[in-house]
Amino acid sequence: MGRFALEGVKILDFSWVGVAPITTKYFADNGAEVIRVESASRLDVLRLAPPWKDARPDPNGSQFFASYNTSKKGITLDLSKPRARELVRKLVPWADIVAESFTPKAMRNWELDYEHLRQINPQLIMLSTCMQGQTGPNALYPGFGQLMAALSGFYYISGYDKDSPCPPYGAYSDFIAPRFSASVLLAALDYRRRTGKGQYIDMSQYEASLHNLAPGLIDYFATGRVIGPRGNASERYAPHGAYRCADEDGNERWIAIAVADDAQWKSMLGALGARCDDARFATRAGRIANAAALDDFVNGLTRPLDARELTRKLQEAGVAAYPVQNCMDLHQDENLEAFDFWHWLEHKVMGPSPYEGLQHRMSRTPGDLRSAAPVLGQHNDEVFSGMLGLSAAEIEQLKKENVIV
Amino acid sequence: MTSELLKGFRMLDLTDEKGALCGKMFADMGAEVIKIEPPGGCATRTIPPFLEDVPGPDRSFYAIAYHAGKKSVTANLDNAEARALVTELAAKSDFVVESFPLGYLDSIGLGYDDLSRRNSRLIYTSITPFGDKGPGRNYQWADIISWAAGGMMYMMGEEGKPPIQMSLPQAGLHAGAEAAVASLIAHYPRQTDGMGQKIVVDMQACVVWTLMNEQAMPILHGDHIRRTGVFTGSADARRKMVYKCKDGHISALIAGGAVGGASTKALVAWMNEKGFAADWMLAKDWATWVPGMFMKMTERDRFEIDDLEDRIQRFFLTMTKREIYEGTLKRRILLAPVADVSDIAHDVQLEARQYFVEIDHDDTLGRKLTMPGAFAKLSVTPLGPQSRAPKIGEHNREVYGGLLGIGDDRIANLKANGAI
Repeated sequence: MGRFALEGVKILDFSWVGVAPITTKYFADNGAEVIRVESASRLDVLRLAPPWKDARPDPNGSQFFASYNTSKKGITLDLSKPRARELVRKLVPWADIVAESFTPKAMRNWELDYEHLRQINPQLIMLSTCMQGQTGPNALYPGFGQLMAALSGFYYISGYDKDSPCPPYGAYSDFIAPRFSASVLLAALDYRRRTGKGQYIDMSQYEASLHNLAPGLIDYFATGRVIGPRGNASERYAPHGAYRCADEDGNERWIAIAVADDAQWKSMLGALGARCDDARFATRAGRIANAAALDDFVNGLTRPLDARELTRKLQEAGVAAYPVQNCMDLHQDENLEAFDFWHWLEHKVMGPSPYEGLQHRMSRTPGDLRSAAPVLGQHNDEVFSGMLGLSAAEIEQLKKENVIV
Repeated sequence: MTSELLKGFRMLDLTDEKGALCGKMFADMGAEVIKIEPPGGCATRTIPPFLEDVPGPDRSFYAIAYHAGKKSVTANLDNAEARALVTELAAKSDFVVESFPLGYLDSIGLGYDDLSRRNSRLIYTSITPFGDKGPGRNYQWADIISWAAGGMMYMMGEEGKPPIQMSLPQAGLHAGAEAAVASLIAHYPRQTDGMGQKIVVDMQACVVWTLMNEQAMPILHGDHIRRTGVFTGSADARRKMVYKCKDGHISALIAGGAVGGASTKALVAWMNEKGFAADWMLAKDWATWVPGMFMKMTERDRFEIDDLEDRIQRFFLTMTKREIYEGTLKRRILLAPVADVSDIAHDVQLEARQYFVEIDHDDTLGRKLTMPGAFAKLSVTPLGPQSRAPKIGEHNREVYGGLLGIGDDRIANLKANGAI
């Protein structure tokens, strides 16, 4: 058994943008060999997006792309060219898994869809993931995770009231779907080991993401109730929310606090050295019913205090609390550091750059960010010469013909 | 029909709301997932809202959603006999997933070291709010705490108002799904070499992972994103993400270049049909238009963004969510309605793919419930959900009797002395 859990697994990866590259990253960081097929003629749009090294646009300098493509190899082929597709078909028998995330017609048009590829590799497992699935009237919907997060309900349940939706940052659904697609691919590998059968997986990012909204959907179907935005109000905790603390270096500071019961409420007051004679706040039910007034009261207590110091005090007293952290704080966070979350990897163009690590740790076969993301075509020679046996002259010719590009 | 995908594998689910989705995903994939809960029922059964707002162990929408397809046995972990039963079950299981306070299961003899001694194949996954080593490893937790610690909360909300959470808490769901992936990664070598292992999932890290790489912004660009309501990007280059329309809101991605050039061109053409486009917009080459997103904009960039946003807003106010969405589907414009659950429930695409499924809850709730269906469509081994969430201890006899071979008399005894 090798050092990594998924050594020996091979993935030919046509995917781009968020969901599918994040899916195959789980495999790559755990030892699988993942070859990303890209093209300079149709760049992965993440290569065109910041953050960039030194804030300077460069397809090989995007940390956005780099973060989701660690431990992978990269080759470049213009799939609109028949010769490029011929080379792809020679790689397909090598692969356990083919992954792709184009809008549905692309792979069909190139005759690289499952029906064609399974002729070459009958045991193939293939993942197609797009916004809304391979079938249905909106299968060709073009989009990104920012839009999917709106379409799948997450914008609507984020805000203070119905008139002011406040989107979650970024492409929220892009970080839900990959944990579903990675799980199902791993299970499909095991099924194939047991039965010899590969299969085709059609994952709609819409459908996967809705599992994070499931209680609200079931409620609606059963009772017609529409769950809406409500700030930080809770039926379970009071106080529950973000409370303003003392500013620090001109930045607002807030602390999140959640108080589950009367004992914790007393502990909280004790930790703050405060008294509360307001009868409305004496019981949990009273505090929940008067949450707005309660928030004002708590804000009055926390406003002069240091958020980190207060966190320690409240947690020592058994009250759930943590500073509301910005992205600079995350890099200083002692708990993330203790988990060894941050990694600096040496990238061919960007030099040392900051990467997020894995969100789990294994005792026996721990994964790792084995290498920084590839620059465009970094492994062309290794794959075209080493795996397909093309000569240097042939590779040169294919580059001239813009097949390898 | 239970999925064949993970058929024959067994998971013991000792999680609460920090990890219930893990077992749900395994159940959907066909594994036998046995939820172990205290005799009074797991705390997740008390999470509001409830069906018709009436509390009850089978009425929490959270529990209905995230325990579907699981079995339930009761075990009072304060009782030595009950702990012995759990040890026996773990000896016959492939996976354990748990989210107790760090060290609790070790302290009662149900930690990884104890259980793996009997079953070296076991994969044992612990979900923790702050990992197992840092100063916060024993911290008190609620979902909003992870949302704050992981950085998402800071970026949600409006200037001048507090940072916010979503109305349906999310951090525990990310951690549960991460536990599913990690358990299955460990499964792969175990099926060859027969050796299990211990896994720790860090929920704070799971939330950081959802930030779309914003973590690198302060280091590479020297600034970080603040909460700006319906806008995104830094103050110098902010873009509007959400627009009002007749009956709600619309989210649009206004960009040029390879990302959004074709889309913005199509949107401007549509606006022009209705007299909302400006002359400069019609003359613009959107394929090469890349105003400095997240970076500093020129004055001209700022004017163009502001004028576009203003005109798009006035245009959208003439139509409903549905009219705009249908129009943009035809024109391939990067746009989505800010959908609520009623929009999603009636979505034609989900209907065409028969996404939602009706699950029988006749014997618990006297009715059927409609729920999200398979999270992916598989050609050979279709996924669940196949059955409703279990009643408290519904499978005591099947599991303790059938699997462990304990007779009815002893089960009655265990019940009488409060073990199960």
